Amino acid sequence: MPSSASTDPGEVSDIDLVKRSQAGDTRAFDTLVTKYRGRIYAMTYHLIQNETEAWDLAQEAFIKAWRALPNFKQDAAFYTWLYRIAHNVTYDWLRKKKIQGDGEFDDERTEHRVAAGAEATPKGDAAPDTAMRNAELGQRIQEAISRLSPEHRQVIVLREVEGLAYEEISALVPCSLGTVMSRLFYARKKLQEQLKDVYETTL
Amino acid sequence: MKALLPPLLLLIAGTNLFAQEKAAPQPLPAVKPATEGKVWGALIFATNDAAQLIGTQEKPPAQLGQFHERLSKVFGFKHFEVLGQHQQDIFREYESWVVPSRDLFLKIDSNGPADNGGVKLHLQVWREQQVLVKSDAVLRLGSPLFIGGPKWKDGRLIFVLLLERK
Amino acid sequence: MKPPSEDHDLIRWLDGEMADNELAAFEARLKDDPVLAKEANELSALSAGIRDHLPAEMRIPHADFFNSQIQVRIAQMDLDESRQKQTGNISLADSFISWIRQPWFATAGAVALAVLGFVWMRPHTQDTAHSLILSFYTPGLGVEASTYHDNEADATVLMLDGLEEVPADRKISGISVHRSETELEIAATTLFDAAGSPLLVISRDAVGHPLFLTNTPRG
Repeated sequence: MPSSASTDPGEVSDIDLVKRSQAGDTRAFDTLVTKYRGRIYAMTYHLIQNETEAWDLAQEAFIKAWRALPNFKQDAAFYTWLYRIAHNVTYDWLRKKKIQGDGEFDDERTEHRVAAGAEATPKGDAAPDTAMRNAELGQRIQEAISRLSPEHRQVIVLREVEGLAYEEISALVPCSLGTVMSRLFYARKKLQEQLKDVYETTL
Repeated sequence: MKALLPPLLLLIAGTNLFAQEKAAPQPLPAVKPATEGKVWGALIFATNDAAQLIGTQEKPPAQLGQFHERLSKVFGFKHFEVLGQHQQDIFREYESWVVPSRDLFLKIDSNGPADNGGVKLHLQVWREQQVLVKSDAVLRLGSPLFIGGPKWKDGRLIFVLLLERK
Repeated sequence: MKPPSEDHDLIRWLDGEMADNELAAFEARLKDDPVLAKEANELSALSAGIRDHLPAEMRIPHADFFNSQIQVRIAQMDLDESRQKQTGNISLADSFISWIRQPWFATAGAVALAVLGFVWMRPHTQDTAHSLILSFYTPGLGVEASTYHDNEADATVLMLDGLEEVPADRKISGISVHRSETELEIAATTLFDAAGSPLLVISRDAVGHPLFLTNTPRG
């Protein structure tokens, strides 16, 4: 079936695509959406742990990005700018939902976890039982993360998934560097408790 | 003389009646369907080679000022020739055809009025028996739609659609 | 209980945020403190596990539909905004999320339709005076469409690419139509030139394709 983007996203730089989008070229913006939807969706999904909502929020992020394009001065990479929009959209949604962490568990957010876990698991040549254990571990990790409060889930995703440095996390959240470190430490300890049987070692 | 008047009148009346029967029957006054406005559609041939121009005398409407310059900015060619044009009512209830040429033409269907004096349309671009594109659009007064069509010779066929009045 | 700075040291080491001089000192501590080393190893393994199972990129479900919905949605928002400016009422009704909330498992028909390209047109900043393409669909394989408003030309463009070229020796001719009349009973439209002479009659075949009849007098 024909695709709505006619150019290979890798061939055209973001700068050119953004400039064309700012001039009203819808095909250029569609190419940007195609290029970054996987990463934006992953970020929204990891933060809220719900496929349907993550899909909606990823869409809203792109829509907001389009509306904000006239204000984008290209002083940062487009993806960085887009990511910030998506993060804020998702985090605002999360706070509004008032999801409780620290041991509390929201059942609604566990919908579709099985399907998402299957997609996230790297497919390879692992034996069936290994693959099964891997899928189960993935599900447990996602469950454990879903039990974190929004603030702690946020820093885990930004650090472990997006690989942001502390200063970048501090600027994005926003909070002090000390708070970033404290939250990361606390979040990891909480996850460690949940996954004790997996990661505990002996001296 | 007076006695002849009634038959004479009857004769005149009869003659008139006979004359009316022989003439073509008067059509019933047609009820013109409601319209949303009028569009002007044209098939344009764009080329950089003046020798390829056909030499038609068609001219775009006055409200489409700087016609050649505007087309050139979008499509990049030097010469533009109006091959055919069609001014057409947009019917409220029925589809309309805009046929400046049998080779490339439009079907339009009103979707009602739009703000700022515009008209919402469903339009289809046809090439002979094939639909090239279906589109939902809003046409506004003085704001032309340029549709880039297939290549021909060393140039391109372009369809221009303009809402002329509501 | 460890002071926060010790916890921060561990985290900073884990995340590669330590300066070189601090790194050497901390690694020396790890060698001397088996409890600290155990915790460091466990947290390292946990981080690696999180990274393995939380990928930075995921395949988005119904990807083409995702793209097309974005574009349709924005076109609708632009129309709503221009309408609000006309009426003076601020009436943005439902939230974005409730508007775009579609069933997650879109039907095959919706996906197929969306794949063939709904694109939207962004009007010029605050302008409600321009024509707009809200959506398009190109049934032909290999045909792609794009739309934008060209500010310099002050025109809305719908560009069709990938169309089969018209042979150079094909004679393309036009007509100059000044009015038309439709006879609804027989679904035929007659096109007339400026002098009132019929040019063409358009009808439809059984599947709705247009049929052209030339120079056929009416009646």
